[in-house]
Amino acid sequence: MDYSDLPGREEHQLERRIYFVAGDALSNCVMGMAAAWLAAALVDPSWSMPSGMFAGMFAGMGLGLLLVPVFVGLFGAMEVMLPVMLTAMVSGMVFGMAGAMQAPSAPALLLGGGAIGLLMMLLTYAVDARLHGKAR
Amino acid sequence: MDRPTRKKWDFSAGFYDLLAWGTERRWAPRKRELFANMHGRVLFAAVGTGQDIPFFPPGQDIVGIDISPRMLARARARAAQYSGSLELRVMDIHALDFPDHSFDQVVTSCTFCSVPDPVKGLVALRRVLKPGGGLYMFEHTGSHVFPFSLMLNVMTPIWKPIGPEMNRDTVTNVEKAGFEIRQVDNVYLDVVKTIIATAPK
Repeated sequence: MDYSDLPGREEHQLERRIYFVAGDALSNCVMGMAAAWLAAALVDPSWSMPSGMFAGMFAGMGLGLLLVPVFVGLFGAMEVMLPVMLTAMVSGMVFGMAGAMQAPSAPALLLGGGAIGLLMMLLTYAVDARLHGKAR
Repeated sequence: MDRPTRKKWDFSAGFYDLLAWGTERRWAPRKRELFANMHGRVLFAAVGTGQDIPFFPPGQDIVGIDISPRMLARARARAAQYSGSLELRVMDIHALDFPDHSFDQVVTSCTFCSVPDPVKGLVALRRVLKPGGGLYMFEHTGSHVFPFSLMLNVMTPIWKPIGPEMNRDTVTNVEKAGFEIRQVDNVYLDVVKTIIATAPK
């Protein structure tokens, strides 16, 4: 076999199948909202901002570990697990800090958590676009 | 036989297909493309519940091994649908019961995230591969990119009791085992990748 002309050498397209792109968006939005809600429920203005941030981060990641298997089963393994865990961590941090200042409103939790989810999804898509394809 | 590993995957056999439903569909095009390289006598390690069997090119001569009898029990229905020759055997990858140089190719799919001693397992695969024979791998590995590297390191001890390790450096392990790397392609980030290597001549 001539190993100089292996299949897969050309650049492959990033994920464009609507089921998986929509699944990525849904998973990250739901995770962002859930982590925001948990962090806000846990942290109140009696907390300092750093302790609120760390508590929110760990609570978000803990919730992420519970929810990730559901999303993984439906939409894929690493492609779901990594951005969703990142969303859980960031959303928990942001709303942990916010909760230490004043209790966020329900619309702020939903919109903010969902927006963080979409942002983390787009961030991982951008990193994937840089790394995708031939590595060696 | 590595009994703890067998026990772990026997336990996971009951829910593995459910957890991998989306994953297999997501990875199907790249797996089908990689497996299209199969020719000659092929060793597929480890075949699991046989979710990869529908991606095999037709008419090949394949031996599929797995450490878990319960995984293989689920794979048999899929193997029965395969149009070529597909023999399934319970076997520990560290102690392959095949003569030296008995396969033209070895193919793996999400295998070396779970083999307890990956370099030893890869050396065993090199032994049964003919000189110059191809090793085709679809694997997930650790990452060199923060924060993904951190997250994979954190999640590995949590997942390990029932599933794979997520921070392996499989490309380096392939080299340590004496293979010559021909090509590495990132399928997702630097985490999911295809690796093509050859046994030295």
